[in-house]
Amino acid sequence: MCKWCMKHGIGQKWYMNAKNYSNQLADEHNLQEYLTEQWMNFEAVYIRKIAGLSSKGLGYKLQMPVIGKVLRWAVERMIHGTIRHPNPIRADGHIGQVIPMEDAQIILSELAAEPIVETYCMCRKMQRGVNYQCCINFGVLSEVLEKLPRFIPKERAHRISREEAMERIEQHNKNGLVSTVWYQPYPYINAICNCESPECGALRLRNDFDLMIMSKAEYIIDLDQDKCQGCKECVAMCQWNAIRYIPSIKRVIIDYNKCFGCGVCRHACKHDALKLIPRKEFHGFNGHF
Amino acid sequence: MGKTKIKIDYSKCGPDGNVDPRDCAKCLNVCDPCVFLRHEDLKYKEKNIYDPQHWKITAIWPSVCTRCYKCVETCPENAISIKW
Ligand code: SF4
Ligand code: SF4
Ligand code: SF4
Ligand code: SF4
Repeated sequence: MCKWCMKHGIGQKWYMNAKNYSNQLADEHNLQEYLTEQWMNFEAVYIRKIAGLSSKGLGYKLQMPVIGKVLRWAVERMIHGTIRHPNPIRADGHIGQVIPMEDAQIILSELAAEPIVETYCMCRKMQRGVNYQCCINFGVLSEVLEKLPRFIPKERAHRISREEAMERIEQHNKNGLVSTVWYQPYPYINAICNCESPECGALRLRNDFDLMIMSKAEYIIDLDQDKCQGCKECVAMCQWNAIRYIPSIKRVIIDYNKCFGCGVCRHACKHDALKLIPRKEFHGFNGHF
Repeated sequence: MGKTKIKIDYSKCGPDGNVDPRDCAKCLNVCDPCVFLRHEDLKYKEKNIYDPQHWKITAIWPSVCTRCYKCVETCPENAISIKW
């Protein structure tokens, strides 16, 4: 169990705590205003300065001996910020975690505050130049986004019911996208993204720069070596290259260090060889988020 | 590998150029590791997301550039240059 769960999940996963989704919480922290300000300025978030430095060339800056350390500290402090008045033009308190389809569906069916919308993904928009409707937002954030036309899809209705949202999550997962759930800002949860690498800003920071913006899921994949037929279908699904086909043994192997526990690879396997198991039951990877 | 320096000539694309990066975006599309970011220029005090002059491209993650040169070849305005 990660440190956010310990503090806010009342002994369970942090994203399973209904309190973190409530409109009351949003009102208490005046988040309507905060989120409007943040989303109006969203594309500029990397360009703004953190500790006097912009994120431009972040990979190189993090390698510098002293400045690199200071910058890493400043970025992680910002992301994990729990201050009462976060700064809307930065990513204060924007922490997330990978979740499998099943958990995302529980959130959407029971916990998420209405209205639920599915908008264009901001990361793909600013990093790949495409409009892709896959970000599921709820509560106060939905109302904020509806006022910002560049996020509102043209091809399909953006307001969706709980049932539609659950269906969309299933389609995204089967399509190879990874569901992630987000504090924005801490302690209010208002988004389930469906991410891919390298377009997703969070995956970029975590994968390429090892910044703890997003943790691995509470689960990890378990391969049944006897059931695997070596069809290689699952290999193409993993956004972290955690699966590889080995010709001499005619099956796949898993790099458990790389597995984020998203469960997306399961959807490709027709032989029931891939299962998600709780991370804490997997020797050696308990506590590795 | 030494540092990769990617420069965008803003007199050709973006604030002072005649291309609106929101219409073109070819560099974003062609770059496999997503080195580029399309964003609002911070120099304007008054925000106006509809004004093409307010948008520009920055090569934000040069450290993941594979030096494939696809962006340089693709850019219709020859606005991108790469050095290392
Ligand atoms: S191997 Fe792990 S990270 Fe990769 S798709 Fe499967 S569950 Fe997700
Ligand atoms: S999809 Fe299933 S059977 Fe095919 S290689 Fe992957 S684990 Fe093995
Ligand atoms: S050279 Fe290739 S990897 Fe580097 S920025 Fe251009 S398209 Fe991207
Ligand atoms: S390809 Fe060239 S002209 Fe087009 S957006 Fe990129 S830098 Fe601008």
